[in-house]
Amino acid sequence: MESETEEELRIRTERKVKKAAQLLFFRRHRIPGVKGWELKKGLGEDYVEVIAVLNSVLDKLGMEVKRISDAGGEKEEGEGEKKAERDRFMIVLKSPVIEKASGERIDNVAMLSATLAYIISKQGKAQRKAVEDFLSGKFPKQRIYFALDRYIKQGYVGEDDKALYIGWRTRAEVDRKSLLDLILS
Amino acid sequence: MENYKNPSKQMKFDELFQLLNFCKTIQADGTDPFDLDVKKFLETLKHYHKKWKSLDDLLLDAEAIAELAKIIELQGKWIKDRSSSFYIDPVLLELKLKMLEPQQLATAFFKSWHPIISLDRITPQRLTEGLAYWNALLPLGERTDEFPLPSAVKSTFDIEDLIALNILSKTEFDDSIRAVLNELEERGKIDYHDFIYDDAFETSVKKAYLTSYLVSEGKAELDINPLEEEVFISPSNNNVNTPAAHTPSRSIPVSLSYEDWLRWRVKQKRN
Repeated sequence: MESETEEELRIRTERKVKKAAQLLFFRRHRIPGVKGWELKKGLGEDYVEVIAVLNSVLDKLGMEVKRISDAGGEKEEGEGEKKAERDRFMIVLKSPVIEKASGERIDNVAMLSATLAYIISKQGKAQRKAVEDFLSGKFPKQRIYFALDRYIKQGYVGEDDKALYIGWRTRAEVDRKSLLDLILS
Repeated sequence: MENYKNPSKQMKFDELFQLLNFCKTIQADGTDPFDLDVKKFLETLKHYHKKWKSLDDLLLDAEAIAELAKIIELQGKWIKDRSSSFYIDPVLLELKLKMLEPQQLATAFFKSWHPIISLDRITPQRLTEGLAYWNALLPLGERTDEFPLPSAVKSTFDIEDLIALNILSKTEFDDSIRAVLNELEERGKIDYHDFIYDDAFETSVKKAYLTSYLVSEGKAELDINPLEEEVFISPSNNNVNTPAAHTPSRSIPVSLSYEDWLRWRVKQKRN
């Protein structure tokens, strides 16, 4: 087999980066993002390198590819290829420059913010009843039940045996340290 | 159990049960796991170890060890959490959260939020797949097995259904209606929303529901001014025992929303 010329390699990489961008930007499932194994299937064995090239392009536009594990925690350096295949990849805004990026009502965002901060302060897990009681200081109970169910459905909060924990979407979208600092400041 | 009849054994069990309960409380309530003195716990177990004879004794001993192991695991997690950059005193944070206005909380969230960028788009291929699905789909009449329930349900639940299901008792319901009627008689003719809205939205909805029964039964009358968008309610001048069924029934929709209730409350506070 003839060795690939530099030009051919450039064209092939460009094609792969374009495909990676389409795979990541357009939703294929109910949950946004693409699993590592899907990227591998679509882009080939070197998909991690292709994502790195895409990342450098997105960086100029204020975006980045974020990799999160379904089990919790973001990627760590030197993690195995098998783990990367199980992880979810998604594009997020690196540093929002627009004032509004959501049509959510302000009180719903306030409730979400308080819920996340409360759960984080309880070491990442809190009884649903305790969260409801805490929020009921400022919002009617019915609205709280509805809002919490919505956050669970959206992935911001997870629920396990009447206990709430930080969901995959919060891990992907929210800088938790910054949220706590801003609340305390 | 035989062991509990012996006073010295009873003492041992009491002490161990107390320790076990304490372990379970720490796990359930999430209190500080270092409240338990592990060394003392182990010494207690060691002290009784040679005295254990029956299977029950040994099972209790094993359970104590298992609970203790869970507490040690929690202690490890506790140290890890406190040494992480996320650790903030929960009491301080709760206090701060209570002090902040919803607007401030939302701003904090937006400033630390990096939303996922995700788009939905129908591609020509997906449209073709949709068309193929449509073509392969049998007519609804041939797929009745897929939708058994909707065809069976022909009406909504009414008060009789709730009473039959023991969700509500007839006496309780009648008492609630009577209380609303008494209140209306005391207040006389009044703006409908002023009458039904209460300090809590939940009770306002309940009152609106009960009031609808008063109107249906002819015990209250609605006076609607569509031009001014005003609705007044007053106790009926007719004899309350006169069945309302003699008059032709009609439905009167009156809107009730959370936002409207909030506006009403603000207005009340201003007044």
